[in-house]
Amino acid sequence: MLDTFEILTTSGVVLWSRAYVPVGANIINSLIRDVFIEERIQPQSEDAGSKPTYRKDGYTVKWTSEKDLGLIFVAVYQSLVHLTWIDKLLDNVRALFTGLYGQQLKKEHTSVLNCDKFAPYFERQIQELEGQSDASSSTTANAKLTPPSTDNESAEENSPKQPALLKPQRPLYDTSADSTPVPTPDTSRPNTPGQSHLLTGKGRPGQKLSRRDRKKAAGLNSAPASSGDEASTKRKAKGSAKKNRVWGEFGAEEEDDSVLDYSQSDIRDDASGNEALEEIRPETWGRKTNKGQFVLKDLDEEMDQIIAEQNAKKQASTAPASGGLVGSSLGAIGGLFRNVVGGKTLTKEDLAKSLKGMEEHLLKKNVAREAAVRLCESVERDLTGLKTNSFTTVESTIRTSMEKALTKMLTPTSSLDLLREIQTVNATGRPYVLSIVGVNGVGKSTNLSKIAFFLLQNHHRVLVAAADTFRSGAVEQLRVHVRNLKELSKREGGEVDLFEKGYGKDAANIAADAVVHASKTNFNVVLIDTAGRRHNDQRLMSSLEKFGKLANPDKILMVGEALVGSDSVAQARNFNASFGPGRGLDGFVISKCDTVGDMVGTLVSMVHATGIPVVFLGVGQHYADLRGLNVGSVCRLLMN
Amino acid sequence: MAWYDEDSLLTAAFAPRLSAIVVSCLVALLVPILLHYFVYRKATPTAQPTFLLIGPSGGGKTAFLTLTERKAVAQTHTSTAPLTVEVTLPDGYTPNSSAFRSPGDPAFERARRFLLVDTPGHGKLRRFATARLANPANVRGIIFVVDAAFVAEEPGLNATAEYLHDVLLALQKRSSSTKTTKGPKEIPVLIAANKLDLFTALPPHLVKLQLEKAINQVRKSRAKGLRDSGAALAEGDEGLDEEREWLGEGGEGDFDFTQMEEVGTAVSVLGGNLIGGKGSDAKAWLEWIAEQL
Repeated sequence: MLDTFEILTTSGVVLWSRAYVPVGANIINSLIRDVFIEERIQPQSEDAGSKPTYRKDGYTVKWTSEKDLGLIFVAVYQSLVHLTWIDKLLDNVRALFTGLYGQQLKKEHTSVLNCDKFAPYFERQIQELEGQSDASSSTTANAKLTPPSTDNESAEENSPKQPALLKPQRPLYDTSADSTPVPTPDTSRPNTPGQSHLLTGKGRPGQKLSRRDRKKAAGLNSAPASSGDEASTKRKAKGSAKKNRVWGEFGAEEEDDSVLDYSQSDIRDDASGNEALEEIRPETWGRKTNKGQFVLKDLDEEMDQIIAEQNAKKQASTAPASGGLVGSSLGAIGGLFRNVVGGKTLTKEDLAKSLKGMEEHLLKKNVAREAAVRLCESVERDLTGLKTNSFTTVESTIRTSMEKALTKMLTPTSSLDLLREIQTVNATGRPYVLSIVGVNGVGKSTNLSKIAFFLLQNHHRVLVAAADTFRSGAVEQLRVHVRNLKELSKREGGEVDLFEKGYGKDAANIAADAVVHASKTNFNVVLIDTAGRRHNDQRLMSSLEKFGKLANPDKILMVGEALVGSDSVAQARNFNASFGPGRGLDGFVISKCDTVGDMVGTLVSMVHATGIPVVFLGVGQHYADLRGLNVGSVCRLLMN
Repeated sequence: MAWYDEDSLLTAAFAPRLSAIVVSCLVALLVPILLHYFVYRKATPTAQPTFLLIGPSGGGKTAFLTLTERKAVAQTHTSTAPLTVEVTLPDGYTPNSSAFRSPGDPAFERARRFLLVDTPGHGKLRRFATARLANPANVRGIIFVVDAAFVAEEPGLNATAEYLHDVLLALQKRSSSTKTTKGPKEIPVLIAANKLDLFTALPPHLVKLQLEKAINQVRKSRAKGLRDSGAALAEGDEGLDEEREWLGEGGEGDFDFTQMEEVGTAVSVLGGNLIGGKGSDAKAWLEWIAEQL
């Protein structure tokens, strides 16, 4: 069963909600955070057939959005329940809501939307879809058969017009339709016990009417009928008029008597009084009485109309305008003109060419293809259906949108102040442990020494642990670095030492020992250097999990070089996954940025692959050539 | 037909004919009118005073916005887009500028209206807020909404203090970068300590103390931290190599909010709650807004 349905704006205000079972606000909040802001979960495109899902705390969340109006439609239900009709519900509600309130929503400078009247529409949709899914196996199939269907079809026709009348008896009727193909005469019907317990006293006359109607219809279609000659033309006319109504199909399948039925009980009386009238009146009047009397039918019809309208609008906007020669050429000129002046509604076709160009541009900047494609897709999602501003071309709109997407991607979620973190950890009485991993030859040791230098400048006592016990000369290299750093930091007041255990030992144990040693000898930061390993070598990567558990670093940084191309995505992914569940990388150090000029695409590729921020950039050969990330400048470089 | 023929289109256009005169008159008359209409429609000048709602995610910015707009707190979720709303000050609050006006005065009604701009507080979406801070036209005040219970713990306090530090720094930069001696318009900051109904919430004066302490830490570690990559990556563009900014007074002293008054930013900390057992209490904040209007 559906737990909660909410309609909210992108600015966070809930416009309308219906909670069947209260669900904590954190479910939807985390949906917004993870999917819309941090884009950790890739939303599939809407054409894929089903709406994207998001799972959290035993709930499944499905959503759809209306970009123009900035609306998000969210349905939350228990993951244990399998609801197939949620997609349809989301689509229908979106169409309904935008149809009903689209104009109001365009108003500026307000967040208030009076949509109290939306509840009945929603209830109706739920009923319809739920009923449909319940009865889809039996009755819908039946309704399409020939001999018994005469009966069923007439019921379908009736149900929109007299839903209130039909509903209480429908379950019974449906079963009877299944069991007995030939409709029983209405005179015998009221005496059946099954019906009497289902129906209220008030419902009886109304039910009678509908029976009669149905019988008439049956008589019309299948010759053996008792009466109903006077209204047969009317039936026919009505039937033909209603034939193409879409939702007539669901009408017959409604099984549950819900709130709406009870509220309509008084109308049933009117209907019974109306019985005679309807027989006498000409067919033109029938519609009018219905309209006046059956509110439900009104709602249904209106709802249906709105949905159809919205769907038609959507189709019209997606389908290319196919006019004559003059029309198309005029359209082309107009399109060109609007392209320059602005005010053009963007479609996928408009964007495709420029986006292709943008993708090429990003590839030239050394962004991995996967990341470039994803960025372009997110821009496309962002812009499709939007209107360009005046005097902006499609290209410049894409440009600004791409810049926004890049900024959003590269901006870290939380602050990356290493010094603050060290302070906080040291306050608890243990050393801060930072370890560095990466592929061979990307500059792990070099960047480790740069970080050590930076920490020494801030008067920290740093222990460097040589956990690279594999490559020849790795320990000696670190020893040289430590000696240099000692020289440099003499005046500054920091202190640095090397923790080494020679070659061939287990790296994880050395790291763990180093941490113990540091806490004994009053070092407050431990930097652990690890051996370089190929990211797709399972044997080498598997030792990282043990390393992560034993050394338990506060921060694991991965060094990636700016020179690497599309492999960066796989590198980042594999390293991020190698520490076992619940532990991943905490940041990237992008080395050798000075060697690539403006081709800093690797940054984007790596962040794209994992959603983990870039902490440091190596921008030169000296100890001091370590920088934090300036998102703005990187975006500028990429977009130039 | 050459262009100099008697009845060619170009000649006709320049000939003293009635049709040419009529067309040119029409063009001369209609173009300015249409242009004016177009420009007038496009640019609606909003000189209304604006208040910015800033703060970390989950503080209650959007909730405060809905409270001031419709007198009741609506259900809200994490914002992903900014929202501007035109609000009228509730009855019982008199704008400072019209303290001596009578309630029937149309100017009084006008003075009570203002715009409230809600910005998303999530770390990735703060560019909306920083963009507004960089160009604070019509901004009369900034309301920094803080979750007083979130601030009670170390990580929350740090995150909040960093954001507040950035906001205050942007305001300070604005005043220190002016060329004139007069300085820019003052923009006061209200730190709205929200969620005081919660048991774990800090009282406003403690919120103030804690934030001051945390900002002190932030500016210290910022000063020591690494420079960012802007200058290093953009070769030869020396204009980008900015100096480190230091919030508040220089020297060894600790930071406190009174130091911000020198740069035209008075900081006040007031408590309240939007949701709670006894209804919402945002009186202090609305009074503060009325004072700035």
